[in-house]
Amino acid sequence: MAWIAAPALVIAGAGGGWLLRMSWRDRQRERPALVAAGWALLVAGAAGAGLVLGVMPGIATALALAPLGVLAVVAQGATWREARKARDRSALAPEPLEGTSRAWRGWAKGLLAGPLGMTAAMGIAFCYAVWMPGAVQTRLLIAALLVPLLWGLAMTWTLADQRLLRSTAVLAGTSMLGFGLAFLKGMS
Amino acid sequence: MMARSDKTPKGGLYRPDIVRAVLSGHSVLGIAFAAVIYLVCLTGALSVFQQDFTLWEQPHLPRVESISDAAVVRAVASVAPRVGDQTLFVIFPDDDMPRLRLTTQNAHEEHNWITDAQGRITGEVETPWTEFLTTLHIQLHLPRSWGGFIVGLTGVALLSSLISGILSHPRVLRDAFHLRLGGSRRLQEADWHNRLGVWALPFHVLVSLTGALLGLSTIIVGALAMLLYRGDTGQVYAMLLPPRPALDARAAPPPDIGAMLAAARARAPLAQPHLLTITHAGHRDASVALSEERPGLLAAQDSFVFDAGGRIIQEKHPGTLTLGEQILGSLGILHFGWFGGVAVRIAYGLLGLALCVVTSSGIHVWLARRRDRGRPAPHWERVWASILWGQPAILALTAVAGVTAPAMIERGATWVWLGLTIASLIAAAVLTRVTDAEIRLVLRRVTGVLLVVTAVAHAARHGVSGDGVAVDAVLVAAGITLAWFRRGQRINAAAPIAAGAAG
Repeated sequence: MAWIAAPALVIAGAGGGWLLRMSWRDRQRERPALVAAGWALLVAGAAGAGLVLGVMPGIATALALAPLGVLAVVAQGATWREARKARDRSALAPEPLEGTSRAWRGWAKGLLAGPLGMTAAMGIAFCYAVWMPGAVQTRLLIAALLVPLLWGLAMTWTLADQRLLRSTAVLAGTSMLGFGLAFLKGMS
Repeated sequence: MMARSDKTPKGGLYRPDIVRAVLSGHSVLGIAFAAVIYLVCLTGALSVFQQDFTLWEQPHLPRVESISDAAVVRAVASVAPRVGDQTLFVIFPDDDMPRLRLTTQNAHEEHNWITDAQGRITGEVETPWTEFLTTLHIQLHLPRSWGGFIVGLTGVALLSSLISGILSHPRVLRDAFHLRLGGSRRLQEADWHNRLGVWALPFHVLVSLTGALLGLSTIIVGALAMLLYRGDTGQVYAMLLPPRPALDARAAPPPDIGAMLAAARARAPLAQPHLLTITHAGHRDASVALSEERPGLLAAQDSFVFDAGGRIIQEKHPGTLTLGEQILGSLGILHFGWFGGVAVRIAYGLLGLALCVVTSSGIHVWLARRRDRGRPAPHWERVWASILWGQPAILALTAVAGVTAPAMIERGATWVWLGLTIASLIAAAVLTRVTDAEIRLVLRRVTGVLLVVTAVAHAARHGVSGDGVAVDAVLVAAGITLAWFRRGQRINAAAPIAAGAAG
């Protein structure tokens, strides 16, 4: 069955990708019907796989195979260009802020995004584990999944935020509050 | 049809000042973790094929498509004297790994026996290169707690890079299909970076989140235990693992595995045995845990735990499991793509390589941007080139040694890899007359040649039939492609043209 589902999912990905590309090709006009059809085909592929292969294996298989079809559409639509002679300002995208030259700020941001971000993420996650309703295994696993997710968000925010004191206060406060509340109730 | 603005969105999260700040953080994070992310992704893309490489390294061992309960009983009985008090794992054959494996593991050594269809031991699994590769991916050949933490941290950094990458790309949908090649190197790399990053985003998030959790599990459990159980991690694991009978070291007859398999088959006729774990066999506190798989489910959801007398002390089936237990069972399977056969493994391998391209193109955009601004970093360009193609070349060299001198790889693969990695970085830093493009070209061709040599050496040693042929064919095709491909372009060699949004 997987040998039939696999090419079908790649084709559904390519079809959905092609519809989306058609809809976004014209920079001046929206084509909502094509946008809807493109996403609908991608979702239908995942739903069909769920029916044929089982819900979770089907969705996971669709998430692995459909992107290959879309990327084939991207590659098929690649344009080859000559190296330009002059700077084209119109093609410029946003540039990152210039980084600070002071080393201590870099180390401080690293400590905020790293250890303090991790403890803040753990504080919230452990709070979830002890305070939320549900089976203990479910609370533990969701909390465990929250740790990397929240840590990643904390990293993103801390590295983007130019105000070190604000980052420090929020992360330290979150850590203390989260660990304190978790300790207060304990696991039951 | 609605009119659409061609301008970059200006509001909300995509305000220009926010975009620039997030892009700055994205750059810093990408640069700081690029080498480790690349190494973990490269070895991860290859580790997806762990089962295929295991068969490839020992293609002469017998295939077992299915096995009877009597054969399993015979196999367990034949290794029991060698196992003693250690825990014995019996892994049943399936489509992806058609072998019955019996495994023991302690802090010092691991044994993996293989049987034939009748349950007779036919040899030990000796796949040093596959083990070297997967250990490099899981713990970077560092002690498990340290290596796992670094790999987990890498997963978090990758997850954060994905979040900041999306937040720093205001035109993420409008540009979703742009792939402009051949002009500005920076624009080309940015297009690869963004297209491969966006369209494979579900895969990237899935593997980075599950990988981060698998790597950080030790520290998460440790912190939870410190907070709530005075450091006793056993109490945390007890909530997730099967129950164990109370300690009782008095002698008892060995567990009747055949009766247990029959009982499980009677109570869950749709399920097939997947893993049997026998603990403290020969004692009164022995336990036998059996997990079983059903079609249409991601992970094993039928499970039984028997005591030494064969009584069922825990029984679980689909529908009775908590969400947490289902997530726990699915983590490794989702991370490594071991759920949909060879099609999914190939997709995971390709998307894993796409993540390598996303990482390398992000660094190339950063290096090109520096050149544009009159601050080129040729030493970093050479160092990155040596990482980018040096690692595949070194892994290919270890594969050649794995085929021609497996005993040497079993003893020293880590040191070979580490020594060559350090040497390649030092060489790239000090050889100032060599360009990054030349380094990439040479190392790519070396990689290609070594892949072909690996396949030829493997065919010469094991013949051109059996389980290794498909892998050999892929190695030859990949090797010829890499060795033959001539293109070698310097960072931003075309012109100091600025464009694109990435890194």
